[in-house]
Amino acid sequence: MNVLIVEDERSLSHEMEIYLSRQNLNCDVAFNGKSASDKIHANSYDFVLLDLGLPDMDGLDLLRESKKAGIESAFIVLTARSEVEDKITGLDLGADDYIAKPFSLAELHSRMQAILRRKHGLKSNVMSVHDFDIDIQNRTVHCNGNSINLTKKEFDLLHYLALHKNRVLTRIQLTEHIWGDVLEDDYESNYIDVHVKNLRKKLSAQSSVDWFETVRGVGYRVNA
Amino acid sequence: MTIQVKFALYNAVSKALIILAFMTLLPILVERIVYEHIDKRLVARSERILLTVKRGSIADIVREQDCSFESYNILKEEFVAIYPITDPLKMNNGTQIRNETWSIEGEKLQHRIISRPFLYDNQMYELNIGEGISTIDELKSIIQRFLLVMMLGVILISLFIDLAFARLLLKPLNSIISTKLLPVPSPAYFNFTPIPSSTAEFNQLDNRINEMMHKLKDSFQIEKEFISNVSHELQTPISIIQNRLENIINEGNLSDELLIKLSDSQRTLNRMSRIIKALLLISKIENDQYLKQDTIGAIELMDEVLEEIEERLTEKNITLHKYFYDDYNITQCNRTLLFTMMTNLINNAIKYNKDGGSIEIYTRVKDGKFQIEIKDSGIGIDKTDITGIFDRFKRLNKNKADGYGLGLPLVKTIAGFHKIEIIVDSIPNEGTEFVLRF
Repeated sequence: MNVLIVEDERSLSHEMEIYLSRQNLNCDVAFNGKSASDKIHANSYDFVLLDLGLPDMDGLDLLRESKKAGIESAFIVLTARSEVEDKITGLDLGADDYIAKPFSLAELHSRMQAILRRKHGLKSNVMSVHDFDIDIQNRTVHCNGNSINLTKKEFDLLHYLALHKNRVLTRIQLTEHIWGDVLEDDYESNYIDVHVKNLRKKLSAQSSVDWFETVRGVGYRVNA
Repeated sequence: MTIQVKFALYNAVSKALIILAFMTLLPILVERIVYEHIDKRLVARSERILLTVKRGSIADIVREQDCSFESYNILKEEFVAIYPITDPLKMNNGTQIRNETWSIEGEKLQHRIISRPFLYDNQMYELNIGEGISTIDELKSIIQRFLLVMMLGVILISLFIDLAFARLLLKPLNSIISTKLLPVPSPAYFNFTPIPSSTAEFNQLDNRINEMMHKLKDSFQIEKEFISNVSHELQTPISIIQNRLENIINEGNLSDELLIKLSDSQRTLNRMSRIIKALLLISKIENDQYLKQDTIGAIELMDEVLEEIEERLTEKNITLHKYFYDDYNITQCNRTLLFTMMTNLINNAIKYNKDGGSIEIYTRVKDGKFQIEIKDSGIGIDKTDITGIFDRFKRLNKNKADGYGLGLPLVKTIAGFHKIEIIVDSIPNEGTEFVLRF
């Protein structure tokens, strides 16, 4: 899978590159609009991660131009710009998703996977974690044929952890994923722990959840 | 009261006063003028008669008729009388003009009379010439009535003309008010089209308002750019550190201690990022950068918010009571912002509640307005502290580091943006109630 990171902030594109390469994605980097445009036309990327504030051109123009030229890559717009129209404009122009900076790399990766599922229709929409089958399409979890009744948040939590299995997800990463869209006055809350506790309880009623590890003082990890 | 009405009233009252004064003065003036004319005539006549007397042409008549003479016309409106004066004490010194009721053949009539003494043949006589004045009173009342009717007509007509003129004159002012001042003057949607007027003051007013709004628009634009720059310049470094921390945490082979430190740093960074986001959100709302194009039902909104955070209630064993009596369509709103507002309010009710407490949410119409009430059974706020709860970075419960003091300022800004009134009431140790009136 080939990814083009279009980001003029080199430290940032570097970190994105490190993270995505670890997910076995081939990363290419462009620091300005001109070179990005050249690369988009010369290569075939599955994903273009596009920063809007490029030094030589507006990222939205690059998006418009690429879509016009029939480029089939999935575009994810990354921006720290605050204009409210950006999101609407970006999606109108054919961007597949939009993430506001600062974003979590885990979040970016899960969004990319969601796009893949949407675009190509993955062979299986069911992820298996030990005895549990997570049906992403229908948002259900089964264990040995028994359906487990999870709340929306619990499902999102389990899905996100399973998606990043064998890696620690910190409480902040989980909080941002679950409640990231709403700006609220709460950063020390342990609501995530409450959700994990409830989730564990529901899952363990069906089968062992030894794989659901608590990393003390940090967060949680799904080992598979 | 509008200027137009005030103008018309002022004009009507002032005209009425002038006419009233005129009507009081007019009869007096008329009387004076008429008397002056009569007096001149009387003096001239008396001169003529005295001249005749001196020539001796009426001497015979005087003697014949018991030394006195009286003559009057058919209507008894004019008369001439000459009497000898027997008692010198009763004699007038010189000419006198007076009004007197004169009796002629038993008929009493009001007359203007000139009396002149004269000496004839060593005998003092008094000449009296009278002219009837009862017609003058009639004249006076006719004039008064005529004036009254005419003036009433004039007042009415001028009142209408005044009203019409004032309306025409004030039309530019009214359109300045209705197009430029009545809608909340927001520079983004301000109508800069000049309002045509031939009145210098209105042109000046319109121009100044336009200039002011231009300045405001410019400073809004500058602020908008500033916000955009700040968010870019602050969020980018935060992004870099955040992503770097994520990568380090994912590297593995880290000691537990280091992992905890890194995740703590991540939390701190997240706090900073959230503070910036909240401040930017407040600034952007105040800078009019949000659209209000959504429509959402109040109950639908509450249900959405509750679905998002309802599970948090269980953590503190809080019971939620929903009393959704009435629904209300919130039009021309920003759904995302309202969602943020309600989330913060309900989260507040959870956060400052007691373990095992309760939250009551009412949606109902009260005093003609729809309102959402959120009551908690929490720690409450001192009366003196209530006014300060919407101040930025003000945390009443300083021991609890569970917020950054921007939740309620956000609520207030979003409510203000939607013209929703917030009423807070609280009793310490019993709970707090937030009422949102739409």
